[in-house]
Amino acid sequence: MNPVVRYAQSVDPISTDGRDIDTEVGTLAGEGARQEVSGSADKHLEHELQPWRQLPMPKAEDPAYYNVPMLNEPVWEWAIPAYYYIGGLTGAALVMGAAAQIGRESGREKLIRRCRWIGCVGTGVSGCLLVYDLGRPSRFLNMLRVFRPTSVMNMGAWILSATSGSAFLAMVLSHPGSRIGKLCGYLAGIFGAGLATYTGVLTGNTAVPVWQASRKLMPVLFGTSAMSSVGALFELTVENAEERRLTKIFGTAGQVAELVSAIAMEKRAGAVPRVARPLKKGFSGFLWRTAMVLTAAGLALGLMPRPSKRRRLAAGLTGTLGSALMRASVEHMGVASARDARASFQQQRAGYGAAEVTRS
Amino acid sequence: MSATKGFFTDTTLCIGCKACEVACKQWNQLPDDGFLFSGMSYDNTVHLGGSTWRHVAFIERPVPLSTQDGAFSWLFSSDVCKHCARAGCLESCPTGAIIRTEYDSVYVQPDICNGCGYCIVSCPFGVINRREEDGRAWKCTLCYDRLKEDVIPACAKACPTESIQFGDLPQLREHAKERVNQLHERGMQEAYLYGASAEDQPGTEGLNAFFLLVDRPEVYNLPPDPVVPTKKVKSAWLSAGATAAGMILAAVGAVLFGGRRT
Repeated sequence: MNPVVRYAQSVDPISTDGRDIDTEVGTLAGEGARQEVSGSADKHLEHELQPWRQLPMPKAEDPAYYNVPMLNEPVWEWAIPAYYYIGGLTGAALVMGAAAQIGRESGREKLIRRCRWIGCVGTGVSGCLLVYDLGRPSRFLNMLRVFRPTSVMNMGAWILSATSGSAFLAMVLSHPGSRIGKLCGYLAGIFGAGLATYTGVLTGNTAVPVWQASRKLMPVLFGTSAMSSVGALFELTVENAEERRLTKIFGTAGQVAELVSAIAMEKRAGAVPRVARPLKKGFSGFLWRTAMVLTAAGLALGLMPRPSKRRRLAAGLTGTLGSALMRASVEHMGVASARDARASFQQQRAGYGAAEVTRS
Repeated sequence: MSATKGFFTDTTLCIGCKACEVACKQWNQLPDDGFLFSGMSYDNTVHLGGSTWRHVAFIERPVPLSTQDGAFSWLFSSDVCKHCARAGCLESCPTGAIIRTEYDSVYVQPDICNGCGYCIVSCPFGVINRREEDGRAWKCTLCYDRLKEDVIPACAKACPTESIQFGDLPQLREHAKERVNQLHERGMQEAYLYGASAEDQPGTEGLNAFFLLVDRPEVYNLPPDPVVPTKKVKSAWLSAGATAAGMILAAVGAVLFGGRRT
């Protein structure tokens, strides 16, 4: 057959994925030949294109390339902020459970059991959320094919596995007097503390300006918010006042520290105003502000004298929402910040790029 | 053992023909990323991405180059993965899918990558990305398959003006310095090298694919002082450790001093 005719028959230029390869003559063997696409445009390009009223030229004092992003934005969707919340809650609950094992356990058995139960279910749900968010979920076990300290995500995968394993063992061996069960409970507490805080390192260890600027305070924010989510969840779901006594102290301390670290983070990122913009403006700023108000409301409701059931439930609900929205805000601010090339440029020009660590 | 290979992209020689983009797509058999109209000069490629490993930037400036008359200049620059000496994507990869090859290039193994997306936010240049339908991270391979056969990368081969030069890194650096001196002698004082060595760019410890530019990096959508995030991660880990300790103390404190016991 005439090659031109054959090409026209085998490659449809309307529905082709752009490779335009006549597989009767050519083979798909290139480095990118196995890349699977549907033929529609790359999603990440679309938002970068905006209708110009006037073609932007590089300004003398504040240059950028047509205001398109310099970085590629995070591809994580709802499952990752959900994991930040649930993983944090799980980790902090295991810390609480481990601490409750200290000394005579009498009167605290229920609390310990509940914390271990949260540990098992929470790490399970966390794992599912993480696998769901992968581009290739079936390859999730590849996370554990190396041990790589430079990769915070790899460390996180190991921390989550260790937390999950020890929480499960503590649950299974929870019959009274089991020393191995108790040891596993303590281990779960230590790994849980890591689980609740490493996610702050994960976001801090990126090129996204607002995340990088917050790298020292994000672990504090995530850890303390994890404490408050435990307190809030117990307020919301546990009827027995004695069981809630310790988590209330733990959660209230967390809420106070969460608010303080959020304000500190805003101030720290504000060293370069453009970097802190997603904390103040847009959807992420709205979420951030709402989360802080809800956390403060939960704290105030919880501290009011003469507690009532209705007030307790309200405190639990606002506290839970506050913690969860805070994680959502962190995710959204990362996307907003990555889309703002000038945030990176101004951050680095102000001396917060490599100069921060390489200047001696 | 092979020497370190890299690109020297001399943007003063680029004529904006996009032969590199085409050669890259064609050799690597990459799909298109959409036929979108950007309105940004002649640049409809917009950005590097999962299936775009070379991108020619077109910069329309209201000022001339120092060797020109008039009130306008048009700059072209072919952007590519920088194959950093310390690569953010590689250090952040949790699966070990991203490796350093025998040519010191940074390579993503498509049979290992599980598409976690962490490399995407760890690249200080916004190079590596994921196509939603494919789910894995992709970027320039420095034409690893061609290097194995002793053939230079497709973009460098296709470049008609030798704006993209490929070779051993030490020689490229020497040549680039000579080129800058030559341009300075001709009166183009604004010419400088971007990321040519660890001293030039301590945050990445030097780029294996470096550039000769004639305006500030921002104009080309390049960061002025990029840093591999792991250079700063120690402080974050210390903070996490302190927070974890604080959480444990708070819990223990609540148990020990939390008031009445039953």
